[in-house]
Amino acid sequence: MSGHRVRAITRRLLQGFRRDRRTLALLFVAPIVILALLGYLMRGSSTVPSVGIANEDSGPVGASVAGQLRSSDLIETTDIMASDGEARLKDGSLVAYIVFPSDFSQQAAAGNVSPEVHLEGSQPGEDSPVIQALQKALTTVASQVAGRNVSFQPRVEYLYGGPDYDTLDYFGAAFVGLIVFFLVFVITIVSFLNERSQGTLERLMASPLRRGEIVLGYMLGFTVLALIQAAEVLVFALAVLQIQNQGNVLLIFGMEALMAIAAVNLGIFLSMFARSEFQAVQFIPLVIVPQFLLSGILFPVSSEPQALQYISNVLPLTYAVNGMRDIMVKGADLTWPSLQLDLAVVAAFGIVLIAAGTATLRRRLA
Amino acid sequence: MTDAYAVNLEDVSKAFGAVKALNGVTLRVRQGEIYGLLGPNGSGKTTLIRLICGLLEAHAGTVTVLGQKMPNVGVLRHIGYMTQAAALYPALSVEENVRFFAAINGAEAGVKDALELVQLWDRRGSVVSTLSGGLRQRCSLACALVHRPELLLLDEPTVGIDPQLRVQFWEFFRRMAADGTTLIVSSHVMDEADRCQRLGLVQYGRLLAEGTPAEIRSQGGSQNLEEAFLALAGRRES
Repeated sequence: MSGHRVRAITRRLLQGFRRDRRTLALLFVAPIVILALLGYLMRGSSTVPSVGIANEDSGPVGASVAGQLRSSDLIETTDIMASDGEARLKDGSLVAYIVFPSDFSQQAAAGNVSPEVHLEGSQPGEDSPVIQALQKALTTVASQVAGRNVSFQPRVEYLYGGPDYDTLDYFGAAFVGLIVFFLVFVITIVSFLNERSQGTLERLMASPLRRGEIVLGYMLGFTVLALIQAAEVLVFALAVLQIQNQGNVLLIFGMEALMAIAAVNLGIFLSMFARSEFQAVQFIPLVIVPQFLLSGILFPVSSEPQALQYISNVLPLTYAVNGMRDIMVKGADLTWPSLQLDLAVVAAFGIVLIAAGTATLRRRLA
Repeated sequence: MTDAYAVNLEDVSKAFGAVKALNGVTLRVRQGEIYGLLGPNGSGKTTLIRLICGLLEAHAGTVTVLGQKMPNVGVLRHIGYMTQAAALYPALSVEENVRFFAAINGAEAGVKDALELVQLWDRRGSVVSTLSGGLRQRCSLACALVHRPELLLLDEPTVGIDPQLRVQFWEFFRRMAADGTTLIVSSHVMDEADRCQRLGLVQYGRLLAEGTPAEIRSQGGSQNLEEAFLALAGRRES
């Protein structure tokens, strides 16, 4: 063991980095971006879920619990008619609604209340503040009004999902799409970079090939691989992991295919901005992680701080994830406007990137 | 076709940022000749070749190739380009590489001929990543000529290959020129210059001299091409 030789290796390594400004920047900027995002997501003044209240109680207790709920900082309340509730859950303007039935005051007097809680249920983590707020309100009101202990047994109903859904069922839908998107992106960016570094791209450019033909050929080649991968992931998720699926398998596959095409083109496009595979790999945290955090996979977009919601709403992965959940958890089909939007946005993103990839290719080599 | 020149560069300049790679170069290559582009490393040879095949656009002056002003995608199917490093797909076999470049030029029929010309037909199944440098150069040459281009651009094709193979390469080049192909071969090795019909001496982005090897010798006042080159280079600097 020679300290001198070890030092030589260490020095050589650091000298290399000194000249690779881009890698250095990514090395020091990427973690701050990601941590800042995570911090803001988790600590920022997140928006609270919108909850509808339908008070049908003929007595006073329903009104006072509703009053407590209105002042709760866990949720934001709107007064609705119970009959409108389901429609409001479906259009996404509410994540839950609570119905105090007409005999609610009598229930309270009898010491056992069961308000109806209707949850949208397609995203995990949105229902707990609702139940919490309700419990708090009831406890407060019970001690004030009834002057006695009132036991609390909400009748919880789910529009989608439900108690037989576990964590994997919620996240599985999103991850099935994400895995394909991520892996296809990495493979494309690295192999397009290879084309550049091994000199074959220069040869292609000096051939009668048009730029669009190169990008399209690449896209098709990788899409074939991506589709096989997508099919494999899907079969494994449904057959082995037994992730619940309410929707059409072909529709899931279609969404995956669109995501794969978008990922291929994102890879081609971004490979233009990397000079080495080393730099390409650094795009992964910068491109993938913020999208992953903001796409609604882990934290529902509606609960993000408002500023981040604006960003989430322009990220293609948000629509892809939403679409996958629409299909698998909600059983959406092509007649659903929300799914139409999701598919259209992901497809448009792919098309924009084909154009961007082709344009960048021209600028860099002609 | 306005003239019998395969390649005609008129007063061409090209800069990369502040670096002037080419400075007013005028150069003409006749159809069917082997034209040697000679000069030290960094003199502008590769930039000239890239201009000729349209990979770069001149800032000033005109580049005309096979009668068309460059860059022009239509002309590219008549050009073969062998890049400096053997740019091949390492995971594909020799034949798969050649077949790919044939396909993008619409010339699949030429694969066997090309492989036989560079004597790789017997090794056509070998994966490129397992080949020696010399075999790769041969495969690279096959990829450049598989579509029987009218103009073949060879950027230092004999760098890093042994003397035997170099002799073979020049034999290929002569045969192709005899068939009417125009060849532009860049090199910084002076002993290759004698094998060319005409030479262009490039240094500091300028064409120092042009002519047959004999003409260059007399211009430089030496029987040795290398000395003639140095003499011409020195004259320009003083």
